[in-house]
Amino acid sequence: MTLSTINITDRDHQIAKLSAIAVALSLVEFFFPSPIPGVKPGIANIIILYTIFKFDLRMGIWVSLIRVFVTSILLGSFLSPTFFLSLSGALFSLLSIIIFRNLSPKYFSLISLSLIASLAHIAGQFIIVRLWIIPHNGIFYLLPIFIVSAFIFGLVNALVTSKLLQLNSKK
Amino acid sequence: MRLNSLLIFILISFLFGCSDNKIHHDKDFIFGTLIDIKIYGESKIHAEKVSNEIFNEFHRLHKLLHPWEQSLITDINNAISKNKSIPINNDEVISILIHAQHLETQTQTLFNPSIGKLIKLWGFHSNDHEQETIPIQEVIQKLVSSNPSMQSIQIKKGVLKSNNKDVQIDLGGYAKGYALDQAKKILTNNNVENALINIGGNILAFGKHGERDWVVGIQNPRKPNVLATITLKPGWAIGTSGDYQRYIMVNNQRYSHLISPKTGYPSNNTQSATVLIPPSKSSGVLSDVFSKPLFIASKENKIKMANLLNIKQFLIIMDNGSILISESLNKKINWEDDIDKKNITIF
Amino acid sequence: MILIKKILQSSKSVKFGDWFVITLFCALIIISAKFLWSLPQGEYLEIYKNNKILATYSLNQEITKEINGTKGKTKIIINNGKVRFSSSPCPKKYCIHQGWINKANQTIVCIPNQISISIVGVKRGYDTINY
Repeated sequence: MTLSTINITDRDHQIAKLSAIAVALSLVEFFFPSPIPGVKPGIANIIILYTIFKFDLRMGIWVSLIRVFVTSILLGSFLSPTFFLSLSGALFSLLSIIIFRNLSPKYFSLISLSLIASLAHIAGQFIIVRLWIIPHNGIFYLLPIFIVSAFIFGLVNALVTSKLLQLNSKK
Repeated sequence: MRLNSLLIFILISFLFGCSDNKIHHDKDFIFGTLIDIKIYGESKIHAEKVSNEIFNEFHRLHKLLHPWEQSLITDINNAISKNKSIPINNDEVISILIHAQHLETQTQTLFNPSIGKLIKLWGFHSNDHEQETIPIQEVIQKLVSSNPSMQSIQIKKGVLKSNNKDVQIDLGGYAKGYALDQAKKILTNNNVENALINIGGNILAFGKHGERDWVVGIQNPRKPNVLATITLKPGWAIGTSGDYQRYIMVNNQRYSHLISPKTGYPSNNTQSATVLIPPSKSSGVLSDVFSKPLFIASKENKIKMANLLNIKQFLIIMDNGSILISESLNKKINWEDDIDKKNITIF
Repeated sequence: MILIKKILQSSKSVKFGDWFVITLFCALIIISAKFLWSLPQGEYLEIYKNNKILATYSLNQEITKEINGTKGKTKIIINNGKVRFSSSPCPKKYCIHQGWINKANQTIVCIPNQISISIVGVKRGYDTINY
C-alpha cells in the first residue's frame, strides 16, 4: 500500500494567497459601517475579478468560495442567514461570469463583466432575502437603491482591478 | 465626467416619474355627508375658486331645502299641517316641487317625497340615529292610509296648498341629485371642462380625467371595499340607494332609511340599487331619485320599474347577496372582488 | 469621485460594448425605480376635520392617534398598512363598525364628529367611490 501524498502545487499557493487577501478585505469591509444596511462595496470582488483575468475562471471560483466560507467562519456567522446571503451572491455572480465570460474582448472589457457579476450578486442576495428573510414584497422598495450601488461599486471594482492587472503585467 | 452626467441623467429621469399634479381636490361636509370635488387641468387658483363656488351653492341649497331644520320646506310643511295655504316667492322651489310631483307619478309613487312624517317617525329626521325602538304599528298604519302624496299639492299663482294634512315634504332623495345638476352650471359658467363631483356617493362625471374617462368604484354593501369599477363617460351620473347608508339598529335588526310609502316600513329586500343616467339636464336628479324605486320595489317589479323608467344601466344587490344587472351595464362593469358569477342574473 | 475619474482617464480600456452594458444598467435603474417606487410608497393617511387636512400619517407604523372633532375626541389606530376608528363620540359608531381599511381611496367618515380619514395612494383603478 502506497501512501498517497497530496502534492501542493504552485497553483494552490496562488489560490491560498489570493483567498487570504480576499478574506482580509472582507473582514475590513465588515468592520466598516455602511449607511444603508446591505449596501457594501464588495471590495473582495476585486481579488476575484483579478484572479479570473490574470489566471483562470477555475481559480476564481476557488478563491470566491474559500472567501465566503472562511470569512463566515472567522466572523462566527457560518450557516447563519448572512452566510447564505454571501454564498448566494457569490454563486449567482460566478454563474453570470461563466455565462458571459466569452464576451468578445474586442467589444467588452472587464468592466462589463464586473457590472454583470455585480448585478447577479445582488440578484442572488435579493432572492434569498425575499424567499427567506423578509418574505413580503416590501423589500422590493429597496431594490432600486441596491441596483444603483451594484452599478457604482461594480464600476469601481472593475477599474481598480484593471489598474491592478496593468500594474502587475508591467512587472 | 461621463459618470457625473450619467448620474445627473438618472436623477432627472426620476423627476419625470413623479405623479401628475393636474387634479385639484377639495372636500366639505354638506347635506349631512361628505362632498368630494376633483377638478382636472385647471390652475390651482381657478380650481379653488370654482370649488368654493360649488360648496357655497351646496350650502345654499342645504339651507333652502332642509327637511327638518328651518327652511322654506319646513315652512311649507308647517302650513300644510295646519291646512293653510302659503305663498312661495321662490321659482326654484316651485319648479323643484313640480318636478317632484312628476317623478312621483312616473315612479308609480315608489319615489314619494311627501312621506316626511313616516321618515321622522322612524327617527331619520336627526343627524344622530339614536332611535331605540321601532314605531308603533298603528301609527305607521295611520300615516300610510292617509296616503300622503305630492299630487295633493297645488300651486296656483305662486301660492301652495295641500288638501292632505299628513303631507310632509322631504326632498332627501332629490336634493343631492339636484345639487349635482346645479354644479354642472357652475362648472360651465367658469369654463371648467373636466371635473368629478361626489355628493355622499352620488356622482357626476363632468368631462374626463385628462385623456381617459373618470372611473368610479362601487361600494360593496357589506364590506369596506370596492365591489366593481365602472367608467363614467362625460355627463353621466351614478346614484345608489343602500341599506348600509343610514339605518337604525333595534334588537340587532337593521332598519334602513329607505321607507316604502306603501307599507310604511323600511324596505328590506335589497342591499343596494345603483343606476347610471346618461347626460341630460336632470341627469343628477334622476341618478338620485331613480335608485329609490329600484330599491323599494318587490323583486318581480324591480325590472319592470327599470324598464318603465327607461333605465338601461342598473345594478341591484338583493338581500341575500344575489346580483341583478342590466345587460348593457354587465358589458362595461369590471368586477373587483371574487364575485360568484353564478349569483348574477343579467336582464 | 476624483479617484474614479483618474482611473477612468488612465485606463484606455473602456470599450464600445462596455457602454452598452452601462446604458442597460442605467435603464434598469430607472425602470425599477419608476415601477417599484410608484406603488406602495404613496400610501399614507389623511385625516380631515370638515374640509381641512388635520394631519397625514404614514401607514407603516403602529400607533394610536387622538383627533379633536366638533363633538369630542376620536381615536384611530394605524397598524402596518391599515387603519380604523377605535373610539368616537358619535352615538351610532358607524365609523367604528366599518372596521379596517387599507387601500388607496378608501375612506371612513364620522359625520357627527366631522372627522374623516382617507387613504391616499397612487390611483388604484378608480377616482372616487359610489355608495
